[in-house]
Amino acid sequence: MPKPLRLVLVTPETTLLDEAVESLQFPLYDGQIGILPGRAPLVGRLGTGELLIRTPSTTRSYFIDGGFVQVKSGVVSLLTNAAVVAGSLNASQAEAELQAAQQRVPHSDVEFAAKSSDQYRARKKLALSRKPR
Amino acid sequence: MAKARAVLKRLKAVKNIRKITRTMELIATARFKKAMDRATQAAAYTRKIAELASDLAQSATDLVHPLTEAREQRKAGLLLVLASNRGLCGGYNAGVLKLALQKIREARDQGQALTLEVSGKRGLNFMKFQKIAVEVAYTKFEDKPRFEDVDAIAGRYIKLYVEKKIDWVDVAYVRFVSASRQTAIVETLLPLAKPAGTSATAAAAGPTIEYEFLPSAADILEDILPAAFKARLFKCFLDAAVSEQIFRRVAMKGATENAADMIGTLSRVYNRARQSQITSELSEIIGGAEALK
Repeated sequence: MPKPLRLVLVTPETTLLDEAVESLQFPLYDGQIGILPGRAPLVGRLGTGELLIRTPSTTRSYFIDGGFVQVKSGVVSLLTNAAVVAGSLNASQAEAELQAAQQRVPHSDVEFAAKSSDQYRARKKLALSRKPR
Repeated sequence: MAKARAVLKRLKAVKNIRKITRTMELIATARFKKAMDRATQAAAYTRKIAELASDLAQSATDLVHPLTEAREQRKAGLLLVLASNRGLCGGYNAGVLKLALQKIREARDQGQALTLEVSGKRGLNFMKFQKIAVEVAYTKFEDKPRFEDVDAIAGRYIKLYVEKKIDWVDVAYVRFVSASRQTAIVETLLPLAKPAGTSATAAAAGPTIEYEFLPSAADILEDILPAAFKARLFKCFLDAAVSEQIFRRVAMKGATENAADMIGTLSRVYNRARQSQITSELSEIIGGAEALK
């Protein structure tokens, strides 16, 4: 029986979560990853999207925005720039963000990249806020 | 007659001041605790980032990143001064500003272009008095600096540095060492110190863990360095906030104690003045009665 998983969710301002979990699912830079107990050590770059936390009793979901993940001896450390409870996301606000991003006219490669990443983030937020629970 | 009344007036004023400074001391204590909590919570992130960076550096030793390369020619730099918005905090601002001024003079003597950015009204007023131009002024950082705000500033510095518009970034602030010791220092944030890879301590700690890297270690390290810089800058802001509250608490404690001493002296003076007034009145009455005999 592998060691049970522990999740440590850290943002620059505070440690949001530090608890035992059954499994985790979150986006990496190029797609989703699932973590179960006994995962081999891993260091990766996080993407933007939903962090799904399963504990024996509940399933919770957070919205995370970039950062890094480290898995070491059963401890999953997620270092993310921002993490919010998915339930507190506001669909109309996310939509407004998306609109604002879409209306920007980029003039350089940097601005173009910023625009597309903002759009992506807003879309992910929107999708998560509309997701039925 | 008039003297006793004048002393009484002063006595009342000092008593009021004592009430005010005592309250300020209590407020600063409460704020210090809150700021301290925030700083300790934020430390987890900084520690984790540093740990990751050193883990990664072991796998990607030949890293060349624009943020870590030191420039040979130091032509233009940036100095960020973290002062407070409000006064009544003892030598807090004086310490930082003295150091900052020294740095500014040094840069001027060596003919380097120095961009000055100041946070806090006290710092801005000082620079205005010294007739030193401030490029960017911040007044929004109180005792609760938010990461988003610091993130924006850090992002700008990284951009300037990578574009080679500036060759270094210094921050002058009061570093929080312990609850009883805070020192004003100038810290160089850019170029970043290279994360120590295979150091003796790491080797002694036992066999290193074979990580799976997604994407490669070098790629992750490239992203983690800006994050590490942001975390360090954020820590400067948090440290400054904590130190400010400590300085204010100490200053206000001193003021309260001084006021208490002063009240003691003043009430003695007042009592004596009142007594001598009564005595002189009595002797006047007796003298008058004597004269009527």
